[in-house]
Parts: sequence; C-alpha cells; structure tokens
Amino acid sequence: MADKMSCYVLADPNKCTGCKACELACFAEHNKKTNDVGYTVGTVTVQVTPKLYLTRTETYCMPIQCKHCEDAPCLNACKKHAIYRDENGQVIVDEEKCIGCKDCVMACPFGAISILPLSRKGAPLLQKDREVVKAASKCDLCKGIEGGPTCVRVCPNEALRLVDMNEEQLNKSIKTAQSLYDSRLS
Amino acid sequence: MMRVVEIDKNICTGCQECTKVCPAYAIEGNPGEPQTINVEKCVMCGQCVQKCKSYVSIVTHGYDAYNKVKKERGIPDCVNEPLFAAHNVTHIGEVKKALADPTKVVMASAAPAVRTGLAEEFGYKLGTLSNGKMAAAFRALGFDFIYDVNFAADLTIMEEGSELIQRVTTGKGKLPMFTSCCPAWVTFMERNYPDLTDHLSSCKSPQQMQGAVQKTFGADVNKLKKKDIFNVSVMPCTCKEYECSREEMNASGERDIDVVITTRELAWLIKDAGIDFKKLPEEDFDSPLGGFTGAAEIFGVTGGVMEAALRTGYELITKKSIPAVEIPSVRGGEGFRSADIQVGDLTLRVGVVSGLKHVVQVLEDLKAGKMNDYHIIEVMTCPVGCVSGGGQPKLLMDTDRETAYKNRTGATYKMDEALPLRKSHDNPEIKKIYKEFLTAPLGEKSHHLLHTHYKKGRAKTIND
Amino acid sequence: MRQFVKGNPDLCIGCRTCMIGCVVEHEGRRIFEIDPDGYDFNPKLHMVKTAKISVPVQCKHCENPACLAACPVKCIKVINDAVVIDQKTCIGCKSCMQACPFGVIDMISQVGTSQADGSRRVVANKCDLCVGTGNGPACVRVCPTEALTLVSEDVMKESIQRRRTETAKAAKDIADALAAEV
Repeated sequence: MADKMSCYVLADPNKCTGCKACELACFAEHNKKTNDVGYTVGTVTVQVTPKLYLTRTETYCMPIQCKHCEDAPCLNACKKHAIYRDENGQVIVDEEKCIGCKDCVMACPFGAISILPLSRKGAPLLQKDREVVKAASKCDLCKGIEGGPTCVRVCPNEALRLVDMNEEQLNKSIKTAQSLYDSRLS
Repeated sequence: MMRVVEIDKNICTGCQECTKVCPAYAIEGNPGEPQTINVEKCVMCGQCVQKCKSYVSIVTHGYDAYNKVKKERGIPDCVNEPLFAAHNVTHIGEVKKALADPTKVVMASAAPAVRTGLAEEFGYKLGTLSNGKMAAAFRALGFDFIYDVNFAADLTIMEEGSELIQRVTTGKGKLPMFTSCCPAWVTFMERNYPDLTDHLSSCKSPQQMQGAVQKTFGADVNKLKKKDIFNVSVMPCTCKEYECSREEMNASGERDIDVVITTRELAWLIKDAGIDFKKLPEEDFDSPLGGFTGAAEIFGVTGGVMEAALRTGYELITKKSIPAVEIPSVRGGEGFRSADIQVGDLTLRVGVVSGLKHVVQVLEDLKAGKMNDYHIIEVMTCPVGCVSGGGQPKLLMDTDRETAYKNRTGATYKMDEALPLRKSHDNPEIKKIYKEFLTAPLGEKSHHLLHTHYKKGRAKTIND
Repeated sequence: MRQFVKGNPDLCIGCRTCMIGCVVEHEGRRIFEIDPDGYDFNPKLHMVKTAKISVPVQCKHCENPACLAACPVKCIKVINDAVVIDQKTCIGCKSCMQACPFGVIDMISQVGTSQADGSRRVVANKCDLCVGTGNGPACVRVCPTEALTLVSEDVMKESIQRRRTETAKAAKDIADALAAEV
C-alpha cells in the first residue's frame, strides 16, 4: 500500500454556473498578506491571478485545478526543484524559486498550471531588467490559509468539494464488500 | 433611456447569479450566454453589481481589454481594482469638473450608510465607521461646503412624521402610508402598482430634500447665487443618480442635486487625488445644513426610518418624550415584520419591509384589503437597508456578506448611541431652518421644496 | 509567455543539420566557401546523444531567466521577447552557465577578437531565436525530419486550453455516470 494520498479539490460540472466566485476568492485569500487585499474590491491594486481556471465548453463549465498527483509530472519536470511535495503530500510551487521555464505547464496533462505575474505589497514584482516576475501558478490547497480551500467555501452552488481519496476509496470498497455479501447466493 | 446599471456583454459569463438576486426579475438571457437588463423592469438597485463575480481577466481577456474597459467606464488611472460584467455608470468626471471650476460653489453631502462602508475600501475592517474622516476627505478634495444628507434625514422625519399624524387624525390621505426615501422602491411602485402610489408619503427622499434646501436656504445664508451652486451627493445606492435626474427634481429652480456618486466612487476620487485616507483627521460638517441626530444616522438600516419617525411622532402626538429612545421591535433583517407601538392612546401598527421582493405580498394583501389596520410601512429595496446598497463597497467573497451587513448595521446603531441628540426634532439646525425659512412642517414652502408627486409608469429623467 | 524552439526526440535522427543551419544563419556568409579558420563554428543549440536519445537542446526563453538574474554585467536582455546575450559586453564569468538548470549555455571563443594577453575573447553563447536575422529560427527551417518546432504563445495557450477542456469533459462523464447510478 502506498502512503496516504494527497487531498485535492474537484468541481462538479453539473453544478458549476461559471460565475468565477472561486477564482476571485482564491486570488483574494492568497493576496491578503502579500498584497494588502482586504474584504472589498476597492482594496485590490493588482491584477487578479487565481490558481484555478474556469474552463467552458459548449454546454457546461467547471474550474480546472491541480489534482496533486502522486507522481506529479510537474514536480518531475522542474529542473529548478521549485515544485515540491509537502508534509501532507500536497504538490506546491515555490514561487521564489520558479524561473518561468514553462516545463511544468507543458508537462501537466490537465492544464492546471498557468504562468502568471507576481505582485508584492500591492505592485507588480520586477526583475533586474524591469520585466515583471512571472511564476507557475497552481492550486496549493490554500496552504497556510485558515479555513482550508477557499474556493470550496465560496461557491454559491456548492460545486466544489475537497476530495480525500483515502476515505472515498475506503468507503467505496466497503460498499462493494457489502454488495458482494448482499448478493451472494444463500 | 438613461444608463444607470449595465451588464457588459463581453465580460458576462451567463452564470445568472445576478438573476438570483434581482428583486425585480429584470435580468434576461439564457444560461451560459451574456445576460441583459430589461430597463422597463429594472429598479436600478444595483444588487446585481454587488453580486457579479465575472471579472476582466488578464489571462482570458488580456491587459489591453482591461485597460480599454477601465477607460470606457471613466475609472481613474491609479485605480487597478478588478472590473466586472455588471456595473453602474460612473459620474466622477462631472464631480472633478465641478471641483476644478472656479465659478462653481461645490457642496458635498453624504448618506448615513456611506460612512459605515467607506473605510472598507482602504483596508479597514468591515463596518468601520468613518464619519469624521469622510468629512475630512470632502474638505481635502476641495469641496466648498461639507453638508450632510443626515441633516435632511432629520428634516424628512419632521415632514413625514407630521404627514403621518395628519393622515391618521384627519383621515386625509391614504393609510397605510409607505415611506418614499428609497427611489428603487418608488420606481417599483410607480411601474407595477401605479394605482397605489397615493399610499406613498409625499415626502421627497433626504437626498432630494437636502439638494432643494442647499440651493435655497443654503444660498441665502451663504449669500450665494443658486445657479453657482453645484450639489454633489454621495450615496450607498446606484438608483439615486436616477432619482436626482427625474424631471421634477428641480424645486429650487435649478437641478436640486446635480450629480450622485456611490461610496465606491468617492473612494476612487480620494485615491485619484492622492489623499491618504488612513492619515485623515476627524473633522466636522458645516452648519447650518450639516448637523444631525442619531435618528438621522439610523436611516441607513432597515427599520431606521421607522424608529426615527416614532421617536419624533411619539412626542408630536403625546407632547411627551418617548420613554425608550430605542425601539427594538422595528429592528431586524431581511423580510417583513410588524409591530404595535403604543403612542399615548393610539396604537400604531407599523410594518417594515427589507428586501424588495418581500413587498409584493404586502402590496397584494393591501389590494385585497388585508392591510387596512396598518398605519405606516417602511420599505427598503436592499437586503438590510442602505448599508447593503448597490453602491456600497463590493465584497470579494460572499461568505463575508453576513459579517459585512452585521457590522455596518452595528456601527450605525453604535453611532446613534454615541450621539448627544437622538431625536430629529431636537436638532438645533432643524429648528433653525423652520424658524428662519420653512415656517412649519407641511407648510407652503415645505410643500413646494420638500414634497413631490409620483408618476404612473417609469418617471422621465432629464437624461432620457 | 515567451516562445521557444523545442526538439522532438522521436523525430530527431541526430544529423546536426540544425547546428549547421544555426551557424550559417548567424554568420551571414556561405561558410563552405570560406577558410575554416576564418569563422566561428559556434552553434547556439547542441545535439545531445545518449545511448537511447538524440535531440538538440536549446534555451527555453524563461519568463524569469535565471541567467539574466545571475549576470553581473547585465549583458543578458529581453529583445523582441527573446532572451538574448550581448556577447560584446559578456565577460565570460560563467555565472549564467551555473544558473541555467538546462545546460543550454556554453562558452565559445570568437575569431578575430583579442584580450590584453593576446588570447581570443571567450563569451557565453545560447539560442537567441534568431532575433537579429528577421527570418525566424533557422534550425526549425533546415531540420530534414521536422523534429524542431517553434512553440509560440498561441500554440502553448491552445494546448493548455485543449487539456483543460478534455479534463472538464472527463469530469463531466464521471459526474454524469455517478448521477445516473443514483
């Protein structure tokens, strides 16, 4: 048996209305300390950079976000070792180390990573040559933020849920065992 | 037709979250496609503006798109906040123009609810009161006179309290009487229940009363020509710009209010002028049109107009001071609530509606003859009154909404408790304006300047 | 996002035509008609051959280039959205080589140059997306098996969008299947 699997957030395309409350809240929560974002729109002084990405098709939509893979292609693609697995098994991008080489973006089979500009203290962060610093941006399960994944909390249609596959698998296997028991010939 | 609240088709994702909060069922469209506002139905309350999360993204739309939208909407360069599909048309350009015009005497006045939310735009906790800082901001922006709509709220109580007593005691005028300070509610009545508009108080809203007296009494005491006065009103409301543009709002001989901006737009002006809000001192408002009582401040919350009216009405009727200045039975949240208030020998049955959708049942009951025992009903369109208005600071996360409303309401009542005067009729500036100018409530001057008539259907504006 | 050239190991036959194409493009002269000692053969991309793989390796034109941040004389700049080394001001300190995690920078000696001690100048060298030539990346053009492609921002964005849409479709299929079971 492998170690405990990482949790991740999954959206239900049958419930999502595409409102982007999750994107806005994700950005807001992640920027309260670093960019002085408060409770209201008027406190935002930088561009909104979420870590999950609303994706639309003809008939349905849902936000796409990191699945915290056990063999994360992004982690394995990153030559700067800027992507690491933390104590909870969650795959995290260290924005300070990221050089924006785009290898992880191309490696992720889900398109869960975007390269987005970084800001600090309410203004864009600049490189030596005055270009804006950009880094790989992907869901970090609100690491370090109280209350757990913000997107799950703010969705007006409860379309997002935190998946604990350890528990879900266990529950499903118990149900399977039960049905094997119930359906056996007496 | 005048543009007030709009949905940008290029940004709208068709999520229809706005449709769910629109009290007038005015938003139309298929899911997943850009929505449109039916202006025949829209009451311009701006709840859609507060709800909309579909922002202009540098990832999906691009930087150029963001800058284009920002410019189109007249938002100052220094402001870099997210822009959303549902928005209200801004008028800060007109305010800046007037402030820069040396021939204009620009008078500022703000609604009670503005000072419960303004500080939030500068990083303060939800519902932080900024009464003194707001006055200081107006001065720093270069307004010539810092008056207050709260003054006119006290004035409204004098007029409306007297009007209620007249209706109750003489049988002249319809009962129940409905409050008329909420322009979205008045618009709703005029369009959907035009035969019941006689029930509305003939009083103008505090905003419009303030405008009318600023250009008449205000001109006289300051020795100004009324045509040189430019009245700017700051409101927690997106409908008030429509209200000030109604054709008939010119009792002073000029436009009573020249332009209305929202709480959020005031924050933009402050940022655009490079003013550090945090460092502003506590300042006072100017006399004789800027002084107010606690009764005026509570206009910003549901039940506040009612409570203010009762504090004065009690004394007008019984000639005695109300035993308890606070009336918890009229306070509350969204919905419809009733209370029986003993005023001497008279038992006043009062109703309070908060959230426009809750008024429909009340009006249907009224038509069916089931509301005849009510004397006065307060109606506010926005969920918990003006503190939750369409022009107030917009929350980034709806999970903060309950706290925001609770804190802004709490700040309002705290301010009322802390003020030395809590009844409108005790306001010395109110006594002064009646003594020197209006003579008495419901008198000829009041009738001309402070009272109005309602239309059947949508009232025309000067911008149509 | 900056564009970059990417090699496909499945198509590459290891012929090194890309390296020749690079030199010809940057040299601007017909190199087979001049004295071999009269020009530099310093391709800006390198064929890497292991027991199982052959593919050219070249600069990824990072958004926050580690080489640019490391350079003490600020000779690495962004020109027309490509990360370019100004070899005239390079001092050959190798900081960029140390910083680059991909090994796509090397030091080359330049013919016709000299230092105070008489030796040739040795400077940093890497793919510059042929920004100076105006014809686009030469390596992509000359590869006989089309193993090299210019990955533009549009191509990257389309790829990301396609993956997201497919992920959404997969999630929808699962959600629908679960809903049907209930």
